Amino acid sequence: MAYTIPVENLSGKVQEMTLGTAGRTVAVGGGTTLPFHTFEGVKSNRPVIAIEIQDVPPADWPDEVRAQYDAVSGDTVTWAKYCQDTLKADAIALRLTGTHPDRENRSVEDAVATIKSVLDAIEVPLIILGSNHVEKDSKVLVAAAEAASGRNCVIGKAQEANYKTIVAAALAHNHKLIAMSELDINLAKQLNILITQMGFDAARILTDPMCSALGYGLEYTYSVMERIRLAALAQNDATMQPPIIGDVGMYVWKIKEVTAAEADVPAWGALAERGVAWESVTATALSIAGANMLIMRHPKAVDAVRKTLDELC
Amino acid sequence: MAMSGVEIFKLLPKTNCKKCGFPTCLAFAMKLAQRQADISACPDVSEAAKATLGEASAPPIRGIKLGLGDRAAKMGEENVMFRHEKKFVNPCVIALNVADTDDVAARAKNVASSEIDRVGQKLRVDAISIEFKSGDAAKYEAAVKAAAENAPESAVILNCSDATVVDAAVKAVAARKPMIYGVNDSNIDAMAAIAKAHGLILGLKADGIEAVMALVAKAKAAGVEDLVLDPCAKNAREIIEMNTQIRRSALKKGEKSLGYPVLSNCVREDSMVEANIAAVAVAKYASIVLVSAVERWKNLALFTLRQNIYTDPQVPMQVPQKVYKIGEPSAEAPLMITTNFSLTYFIVAGEVENSKVPSRLAVMDCEGLSVLTAWAAGKFTANKIAQFVTEWEEFKEVANKELIIPGQVAILSGALEDKLPGWKITVGPREANGLPVFLKSRAA
Amino acid sequence: MIIIGEKLSVIAKRVRLAMEARDKGPIQEIAERQFREGAAIIDANIGPAEDGGEDLMQWMVTTIQEKVHAPVCLDTTNVSALEAGLKVHNNQWGKALLNSTSNDPERFPVLELAAKYNCDVIGLTVGKGGLPADAEERAGIAAEIMARAMEYGVPLENIYLDPLVLQIATTQDQAVKVIETIRMFQDLNDPPMKTVVGLSNISNGCPKALRPILNKYYFLMLAEAGLTAAIADAAEMAEAMHEKALIAEVMAGKTLDDPKKMAEIVKTVDVIMNKTLYAHSYLEM
Repeated sequence: MAYTIPVENLSGKVQEMTLGTAGRTVAVGGGTTLPFHTFEGVKSNRPVIAIEIQDVPPADWPDEVRAQYDAVSGDTVTWAKYCQDTLKADAIALRLTGTHPDRENRSVEDAVATIKSVLDAIEVPLIILGSNHVEKDSKVLVAAAEAASGRNCVIGKAQEANYKTIVAAALAHNHKLIAMSELDINLAKQLNILITQMGFDAARILTDPMCSALGYGLEYTYSVMERIRLAALAQNDATMQPPIIGDVGMYVWKIKEVTAAEADVPAWGALAERGVAWESVTATALSIAGANMLIMRHPKAVDAVRKTLDELC
Repeated sequence: MAMSGVEIFKLLPKTNCKKCGFPTCLAFAMKLAQRQADISACPDVSEAAKATLGEASAPPIRGIKLGLGDRAAKMGEENVMFRHEKKFVNPCVIALNVADTDDVAARAKNVASSEIDRVGQKLRVDAISIEFKSGDAAKYEAAVKAAAENAPESAVILNCSDATVVDAAVKAVAARKPMIYGVNDSNIDAMAAIAKAHGLILGLKADGIEAVMALVAKAKAAGVEDLVLDPCAKNAREIIEMNTQIRRSALKKGEKSLGYPVLSNCVREDSMVEANIAAVAVAKYASIVLVSAVERWKNLALFTLRQNIYTDPQVPMQVPQKVYKIGEPSAEAPLMITTNFSLTYFIVAGEVENSKVPSRLAVMDCEGLSVLTAWAAGKFTANKIAQFVTEWEEFKEVANKELIIPGQVAILSGALEDKLPGWKITVGPREANGLPVFLKSRAA
Repeated sequence: MIIIGEKLSVIAKRVRLAMEARDKGPIQEIAERQFREGAAIIDANIGPAEDGGEDLMQWMVTTIQEKVHAPVCLDTTNVSALEAGLKVHNNQWGKALLNSTSNDPERFPVLELAAKYNCDVIGLTVGKGGLPADAEERAGIAAEIMARAMEYGVPLENIYLDPLVLQIATTQDQAVKVIETIRMFQDLNDPPMKTVVGLSNISNGCPKALRPILNKYYFLMLAEAGLTAAIADAAEMAEAMHEKALIAEVMAGKTLDDPKKMAEIVKTVDVIMNKTLYAHSYLEM
């Protein structure tokens, strides 16, 4: 009995981009097929895992993940070096949580100093994330783009409410940009259009359709990612061809499944494994939905996802 | 090929006799077209029409029940490649694989006690698979018995490619309708005979899709129709590729010999990695996901993922009606109200969190509709909100009798003030992203 | 094509204020304008109208019919307000139309009214909880509504099946499925079932400048599929009829003299047919 592989010839592609400089660059995206479909085209680069650090100690992280970094997280540079050298991170995501007006309200100058010292200490590519405060981010990220000039970083996140200043800064200093919308593929497309209309090359955008944790709306993120990929490949929609980024750790490490003690919910099993599994299953699901880059927190979850990607790539 | 409801209707007697349980032949035809009814329910349809309809109404992926009674898990009958197109129909079975050299009774007890309640659904490891590793038929039979006894409500899978061993073991558990897994080119005749004798499912195992198709042909020739396919993916990428190809062939190419549920073996040394590989299989079309350990943390993660993937995209996900606390609100903290459409809830709750102002968010059951739609549909009206606020216990602990309503239903504020004496009604922002500024300016 | 003028809706601020103040002026002005623009029926959407809906609906019907010699589409979820409206409706210019019954048990009493007053009724093909995924599901619900109508004694020719138009900005794939549904609905009976849509919902949530463009071309595509009636902006639909020839030419593969118009039609049809992903700026791409 003859079996014909049911190949679908898709006309589109995923943009490929390179982050970082000199010998420590990393390629993101690329390819012409749905995730891991090597039987019908050119596969994308292996999803890149960026490990998340902060400009202030992670007092707000649940114990299970916070404790992993207790020895290093008092100093952002030490933390960054640890992720690069010991955890072998592909890239580092520095979240400037401390700049949020309701947190330490660190100044733009302080943020710039942190970025510069981290960049001096590491070779792997850096992703610089704001504190998700629309007004403060537009100041902090503009200064961040300048401080990181020449290092080919990722700056984020540009949202509909503040994209103009951030795009201009990323453009001026030759960085890549995260464009984030909230679980709405049509708004994701719209934001990418608006950004390219400012003269920013679509090949330098990463789309963040907004992450959600397993059990907390994961199916929305999963389906939006699948639909973005289908639009990029099947409809050859250039506005949907940027690589996709999943900001996983931040959405996972706040829900009750990663904080509730086994004594309180015996049916849920051991907390240590449960937290790690929650982040790693969320990241795995999103990488098969189309994420080309994942921002993660727990070293053991990173390790499990790496081993899974070894099988997938 | 599938027929439309109207085409099917033309073949029906058009008597509107209601014997099928539907009010008219047209309504029955529409259900047949959606495969939600069976032609055998019509006593008056002609044999010729029945034959035509039988062919047309056969789903492209055969529906098969694993296990017995209430606990039986339906597999197959899927219609789409992507979950956003239409609901994935039959959630996959998670099955624990145990070697007969292992402590089968203890592991079977893990299966029996695996039930977890998550958002109102009772979820569990549905099946136990006993693998023939000892080389000793008697030991295998004992292991199968121990598994069946200690997991009395689970489906049983005989993971063994020795037909003589299966034949001996099957007798003890035949009443449980076990699935025979491990059917290959050299044992298929004997296995088919056993399956026919007891009315069992055959799990076909071959290296690659083409080889599986050849086994399907043999099984069908031997008269066995209930089949599960395992093309023996060697890694997670092959799980995705093979399962995608099988489903695509069945749905898009009408390939009948691949129109069966698929089993994916996800057994790995490292349990955390096994959870991830199983996650790949859950998302990518497996009907049976075989794992080697069912720790509670892993079960919870996999059950949750399965629930997420198999959620109906047309039915808005709902969060339970209740007053949610965000941060640690005092009795005087702001109190907002919105509907129970989960996306509305996630986004509103997220913005309230962003504001860092401890608050209460009352979520009212509006059948999962968003605010404006729920209002227009008469589900989020002044009367219904007032009734909710008056009758729901959690409002009693609120000292500050001020209710913040979504800006989109500002129109309700007057009527609400009338119906909720003693309450102040405040109109909040129209969009959730206006909440941080709104809440903070009030707190200042 | 029957246009049901949509403008008298409680969602519009001016209309709401006039309803609250029982100020006939704006209501009659809007009703008359729609009638002049080609509306054959005037929709009176008073919202859920829990309190005093009966009085409001009667006031709306008499206020409209005082000036406009046309039937009224009574649009509310309040069943007793519907009945109150029917009691004062003047059938001299045609039957009243009830908006609407559906497969939700809460909406069954509307069929009772349709039987009792022998008026027309819209059958919205949705059930309780969850939206229909495709044409087959909508037709399935339609068949149930039709069966129930027969039970209640409502003749099938009094029913307008409504597939429920959804917003293209959030549920783009449904736009083309609704067109397909309109074709399928007609096959459910002989003579064909009548159909209706709440048209403007297609462009709800879209930028203002885009709304008439989407409304017009969607209307023409639905008309092509055999639509009987549309609750819509009568002026926009009159304009659409002028462009009917243009869209036909584009669909036939011809090139229009006006490149801007040509691009507008091609891109909009592609978005409606789900061939390009919708974004607010799709015309600029």
